[in-house]
Amino acid sequence: MATAAVGYSRWRSTAASLRLSVLMFLADPQWLIPSMIAPVIFGLVAFELFRGAGPYFLTYAILGAGMMSMWGQTLYGSGWATGQDREFGTLEPTLQSPTPYLYIVLGRVVWNVVSGLIGGGIVYVVVVLAAGGPPSLPNPLAFAILFVFVMLSLAAVGVVFAAFYVYTRYAGFIQNIGEFAFYVGTGCMFPVVLLPFWTNPIALVFPPTWALDALRYNSIPGYVGFSWGFEWDLVGAVVTTAVYLAIAGTVFHRVERHVLEVGNLADF
Amino acid sequence: MLARDGPAIETRGVTRRFESRKGFLFRDITRTDALQGVDLTVERGSIFGLLGPNGAGKTTLTKILSTLLLPTGGEARVLGHDVSRDADWLRPRIGLVLGGERGLYNRVSGRDNLRYFADLYGIPPVEREARIRTVLERVDLSTAADRRVEEYSRGMKQKLHLARGILHRPEILFLDEPTIGLDPKSARETRKLIRSLVVDGVTIFLTTHYMFEAEELCPQLAILSKGRIVARDSVDNLRQLVGGDRTLEAEAYGFEDRELATLRHLPGVSKVVEEEYGPATRLTIRVRTEETGVDEVRRVLPGHDELSVRERRTSLEDVYLDLVEEEAR
Repeated sequence: MATAAVGYSRWRSTAASLRLSVLMFLADPQWLIPSMIAPVIFGLVAFELFRGAGPYFLTYAILGAGMMSMWGQTLYGSGWATGQDREFGTLEPTLQSPTPYLYIVLGRVVWNVVSGLIGGGIVYVVVVLAAGGPPSLPNPLAFAILFVFVMLSLAAVGVVFAAFYVYTRYAGFIQNIGEFAFYVGTGCMFPVVLLPFWTNPIALVFPPTWALDALRYNSIPGYVGFSWGFEWDLVGAVVTTAVYLAIAGTVFHRVERHVLEVGNLADF
Repeated sequence: MLARDGPAIETRGVTRRFESRKGFLFRDITRTDALQGVDLTVERGSIFGLLGPNGAGKTTLTKILSTLLLPTGGEARVLGHDVSRDADWLRPRIGLVLGGERGLYNRVSGRDNLRYFADLYGIPPVEREARIRTVLERVDLSTAADRRVEEYSRGMKQKLHLARGILHRPEILFLDEPTIGLDPKSARETRKLIRSLVVDGVTIFLTTHYMFEAEELCPQLAILSKGRIVARDSVDNLRQLVGGDRTLEAEAYGFEDRELATLRHLPGVSKVVEEEYGPATRLTIRVRTEETGVDEVRRVLPGHDELSVRERRTSLEDVYLDLVEEEAR
């Protein structure tokens, strides 16, 4: 048997992780509930909640319910999958392979963004059917692009969170504590400016806060969000997303080293 | 400083301490020294066996050598490279089979498990499917390759672990209990596979609880007990280390101290151990030379009508038990 040490390819490793995520999704019927059924329920609830609340209530309903159905999947999907790696005992062979774990997480993030967008699409269809017509969007193309960008900003935070799952088996516990606070605090359901002022600086640490505010500015005429307006929201979203992705690279490297020092990879 | 070329594995004074913490405000830290200065050399292209009781540190050492765990002290080199500093260089060249029920993606097929790891190891796309077919054939898992792993028996999972371990053609393969859970036929085929890998030039580092397996496969082996290597040599030399390669067993309803003393003075007798064996007493007599045999033992133990004496070759199990018990004392 000739030895063939060839290392790894970033693209192939990411693609392999994406492919495995899709296979695992298709093989596990429990995913049908959060990805297919929950968006229908969220869409109907949001439609009733916002009905009659101004001329752009449909957009509010779509954004609120859309975020609700997508954010958990996109934000925590990768971390949860890492938790599953601990549960299955696959974290050890995966980390023992030449591929840095970051690329495994990236593959999962791509899938989570795609499945999150499918959920968002379902919400859109449900709300449009309930209302009997589409919302009036000033710029549908910009709305679609920003929508995808919000997903990516959520995913950027998700990559950093995934590192905690590698770091400790108690990451799920930490996630459960922070889940609702993060959801409300970053403006997933309603604008952050409606929250007490002291929460705003904390919210601005997270890219989705900026991205969601930009999305609302773009899609709801007369929307009152952060005083600096759409353009600076966009700049803030791009900068914070980039910072999170940079942090993710460093954090993963350090976390991988740390778990080799502590020796808790097999713990679940 | 350990040399870069030379042995496949070389460790000097490797230690590993684990700390476990309990409590939130007042933390209670428990420290366990899993390895306490392990010195080891494994030559390239050989099968090296590591034996030891549960908790001796075998898996800890295997994980350190396969870059899954950092040592807290000492130096460990694999293929001439430091496991702490050169993990990126080593990982494509190392195969690891930890075995057991875990460590696989149960909801997808065996083939998809292998495809995933083939990609993580950078196996060229044009070679991937053929390579997977080959390893599946080698572990006799071809017909079940497209079934979900959750439908596999324990033995089939073990075979899949093995297939994954050799998929990327490692230079050195770490096998932690590779035949555990396998039926006798599969276990024999696995041992055959291990031998064929060595013919292909792969170095095998094997931990096992099966003494006959170690005896059959490993020209060199070490016994690890309480984090220390208590012996390291060929099986034949280890037999001598525990008092000879011949063992006589005498069984009767009790022996007197003077009889034991006489036995100990027979030519070539290196050790006499007395143990209760149900209602009877069994004497295990280790003999270095041919001068003392069944007849001599019978001669110095007169008056025991029920006496039975038999001779056998000192087994690796005898060696193992002697050394581990000695270390425990």
